[in-house]
Amino acid sequence: MSDRYVVSRGTKRSIIKALLSVLLTFAVTSVILLMSNVNPVLAFIYMFQGAFGDINLLSETLVRTSPIMVVSLGLAVSFKCKVWNIGAEGQLYIGAMLGTIVAIGIGGGLLSLLCALFVGAMGGLCWAAVPALMKVKLGINEVITTFLMNFVGIYLVQWMISYPFRSPDTYFPESAAVPASSALMIILPGTRLHLGVALALALVPIIYFLMERTTFGYKVNVVGENPEVARYGGIKVGKIVFASLIFSGVLAGLAGITEVMGIQYRVRGSLSPGYGYTGIVVALLGNNNPLGVALSSIFLAAIMNGSSTLAWAMNIPMGIVDLMQGLLFIFVLASEPFIRFLEGRGVLRL
Amino acid sequence: MIEWAILVGVAAATLRVAAPLILASLGETVVEKAGLLNLGLQGAMLVGAFSGFMGAFFTGSLWLGLVCCVIGGTITTLLYGVLVINLNLDQVVSGLAINLLAGGLTLYFTRALFTGGVAPYLQELFGPMQIPLLGSIPILGEIIFSHTGFVYFGLICVPLISILLTKTTFGLRLRSIGEDPVIASYLGIDVVKMRYVALFIEGILAGIAGGLLTISMFNTFDTRIVAARGFVAVSIVILGRWNPLGVLAGSLLFGFTEVLSLRIGILFPEISSASTNQLFALLPYLVALIALIVGGRRVRGPASLGKRVGRE
Repeated sequence: MSDRYVVSRGTKRSIIKALLSVLLTFAVTSVILLMSNVNPVLAFIYMFQGAFGDINLLSETLVRTSPIMVVSLGLAVSFKCKVWNIGAEGQLYIGAMLGTIVAIGIGGGLLSLLCALFVGAMGGLCWAAVPALMKVKLGINEVITTFLMNFVGIYLVQWMISYPFRSPDTYFPESAAVPASSALMIILPGTRLHLGVALALALVPIIYFLMERTTFGYKVNVVGENPEVARYGGIKVGKIVFASLIFSGVLAGLAGITEVMGIQYRVRGSLSPGYGYTGIVVALLGNNNPLGVALSSIFLAAIMNGSSTLAWAMNIPMGIVDLMQGLLFIFVLASEPFIRFLEGRGVLRL
Repeated sequence: MIEWAILVGVAAATLRVAAPLILASLGETVVEKAGLLNLGLQGAMLVGAFSGFMGAFFTGSLWLGLVCCVIGGTITTLLYGVLVINLNLDQVVSGLAINLLAGGLTLYFTRALFTGGVAPYLQELFGPMQIPLLGSIPILGEIIFSHTGFVYFGLICVPLISILLTKTTFGLRLRSIGEDPVIASYLGIDVVKMRYVALFIEGILAGIAGGLLTISMFNTFDTRIVAARGFVAVSIVILGRWNPLGVLAGSLLFGFTEVLSLRIGILFPEISSASTNQLFALLPYLVALIALIVGGRRVRGPASLGKRVGRE
């Protein structure tokens, strides 16, 4: 009984934290919009319409959700372990690039698709394995190394699409297109909603099961809570830290190659508008809980897509997405002590 | 054989591009000595670059730009202080939050304030300062004494920070906090105040480190202008073993790789082509990783570095 109580209390708390941070983010964004003489209410209505206005816009938002969700579900696992992978962006690009090369190399068909997805995931894994090894074997802070790996990875991919794997028939640096027969199929005719979106959604219960019902998930939780206790309990902490970091790399790589096989069909420099960083905010907003992460992904995707309508209708720069993301991050962090403060004053009882 | 003139040019350029790294990593050394791992350094540099540019652009005065980058840098590090000192939040996550917020704010306002969303160019920049006599020494004069004030300031800060940390009561107290803040506070040291002072110093240095990019090195602002310099600076602190002289050496190493990646065509024309030149853009980051593998293994920093005090 008491166990259940603790869980539900924690969940309630994280929902309140998330709602509070979203509210504060909208409040501060409103102030900034007012400063530029823009009616914030109108702006948010445009944003909402741009994200969910009709079936096309809704499907576009879901298409946008897919890479964010896949990345952030992976990050949620590593964050649970208190392993701060901020290299998802680079892992995503490497996964996309390697997967694309394989898809083109094999030619069309299901085999090509499956191999591409596998290799894409492995690419992300390898890119995360370097910082993971450095952390476990040498004790080097993973935040620094994963961030530096982003630069190595993205410059490497930029070079690959500019020279060795450049498409011969386009002017801009980009890879050749993957064969049409290997692309992820469209599941809603007339839209760009592809099978990858369904796969992303399917990952939600899988990650939930992994974290709540398997020994691996249990160990990740214990290591994240207290590595000393974990070690005392016979858990090989280094192994779990390593596994959680490469696991987040696998999903980041998968997100990258899914993006190629689902909608972009080639690797370009603009493949990801920072999904790897958005994923960090999403994972924290969702309190590293798969369902919370899923909802947060849709929310961030909606802001992203809505902001392009906003840019078009009210001339508000797309940078508003990054601004709101940054604010969300700060407020999610600060809401915990704030709620504790309210509890201490007896204002709030959770 | 590579000509002398080219080597002298490389040496001078190394010092020039090392300057922001020297300043930023010295600032980080000070706060890490106080037990704070400020990964928001990247964000502080970005805000410094942004506010320095804005100040210089809208007032038309480079000196006011300099003032603005110091203010921007200190506000950023002090905000980090509020998160980790007053709210006792996780240091790593707080640093990341600062970076993302800095990225969001600077991007939004650059896009919102300028037509086309691109920052314009500054009319003038802080140029090199001619130092009489020393500047006319052959070779050495060109390498060391042909720079902007920022380079000299960075070089002077190395012994200054070293003295501050090892020869003053302030430094001694700061280091004792870094070893164990709880014991330090039992000894009557005001941990909160000391940490804020350390962050204030870092804010000044990081603000200038960022600002010099926009008001001295390049003449415009772009959100990618800091690249990974903040994180490279954090790596340099580890490689330099929290010692200002080591930090100087590390900064010069990275300055050199940056110059190498930019001038590969001039230095090694045999292997140079448009393709390899582009590939070499990743060299500084690769070298940073390799340097961490070689020189960063299980080094012991201040004992309380990155740890939260008391309950979560």
